[in-house]
Amino acid sequence: MGYLSDSLLTAIELILSFDLEVRMTVWTSLYTSSTAIVIAALLGVPIGLWLGLSRFRGRQLAITLLNTLMALPTVVVGLLLFGLLSRQGPLGPLGLLFTPWAMIAGQAVLATPIVANLVLAAVAGADNRIINTALTLGASQFQAALQLLREIRFGVMAAVIAGFGRVIAEVGVAMMLGGNIRNSTRTMTTAIALETSKGEFAFGLALGMVLMSVALLVNLGLNVLQQR
Amino acid sequence: MMLLELKNINLPQGDFNLQVSQLGLQAGQLYVLKGENGSGKSTLLRLLALLQQPTAGDVIFAGLSVAWRGRTLKQLRQRITLLEQSPLLFSGSVEKNLAFGLKLRGISGCDLQQRIDQTLEIVGLNGFQKRLARELSGGEIRRVALARALCLQPQMLLLDEPTANLDVGQVAALERFLVRLPQQGMTVVIASHDSGQPERLGGETITLANGHLIPNGSESPAAPRTPDLKVV
Repeated sequence: MGYLSDSLLTAIELILSFDLEVRMTVWTSLYTSSTAIVIAALLGVPIGLWLGLSRFRGRQLAITLLNTLMALPTVVVGLLLFGLLSRQGPLGPLGLLFTPWAMIAGQAVLATPIVANLVLAAVAGADNRIINTALTLGASQFQAALQLLREIRFGVMAAVIAGFGRVIAEVGVAMMLGGNIRNSTRTMTTAIALETSKGEFAFGLALGMVLMSVALLVNLGLNVLQQR
Repeated sequence: MMLLELKNINLPQGDFNLQVSQLGLQAGQLYVLKGENGSGKSTLLRLLALLQQPTAGDVIFAGLSVAWRGRTLKQLRQRITLLEQSPLLFSGSVEKNLAFGLKLRGISGCDLQQRIDQTLEIVGLNGFQKRLARELSGGEIRRVALARALCLQPQMLLLDEPTANLDVGQVAALERFLVRLPQQGMTVVIASHDSGQPERLGGETITLANGHLIPNGSESPAAPRTPDLKVV
């Protein structure tokens, strides 16, 4: 019990003292996950909107594929991108492996299907008169789709937040593509795994508490949006 | 002057086909579209609003055959406005709803505000500019939707059961307003199953039954879609 309470106190001290390593790790996590979710939103929102509004042969197959990609294991994404970005891979000359950009790419791949799927669900649940009303007021198909997006904005925001929640808490991509390099690609999740294995339980606990706070804030935001 | 013509139209909709061999709508004329529920009134209105493309036939607007794609379609749609039976207001304020179509037509600034204010006054909702759509009653929603359509000053205004669920006083006021619109050059088509409305509104009557136009003056040839209920 003493071990746990001592570690907890040390963890709180580390957070309150703004320990440089804790700060760097938290910053890396927030920076990579935020950039990844922006990319995922830029890709996923149009995909979800397009799948929700268009009718074409193979649409159901595309939706099934998107559902499958939602459950993509993080280590599989890490493995595939590792193959692409490693020195022998086709994108090896770019020298991205073990940089924050490799982690951002992997996390964007993870989050895009989540954002697209949840936007698709929001489109399906939207009032089906929105598009026709916009068209009859003189909008083009594209302008009508933008109006629909405005009407389902809370659903879209919830989709983006859910995607962020997924990438900030993942380990596989960050570990395999980032390499857990101190002050460069070490994120909260990879640091927790490493420090705990080294016996630095308090340090891991401090990062765990920060991560839980971020997750709590994300979920609070999600709840607020879902109630609107 | 002929504003819109339908020729040899076939438009499948649910369990019936809307079939119109010939229909012409004159500019500055009021038409009352009669027919039972499910006779195809709403489908015909959506076709006239250029929202639904027929599988066969021609739609000719102001002498030009409608091409069902691209910029031209958008430009033609901007000359027609449909007010649906259960109109939808976008989230946000009343003012924002009225501004939507005006902005799409490049109207902004003082002109935009003036049109919004004037039209809200016409429908008796002066001072409603900042009210949120979600705070409005059913009747107010219909009036805002009507104002949103009117402020665009379309060449053709299509109204699907505009007086449904309104009280007698509101119906009379709306009808008095609608009959004046053709004098300003607007073509107005009103779908209604209120049997007294064609007489009160004047204008020409278009009768639909089971997706077919019925010539004026003929007896209703179509059997009702559902049997009459009998009280035993």
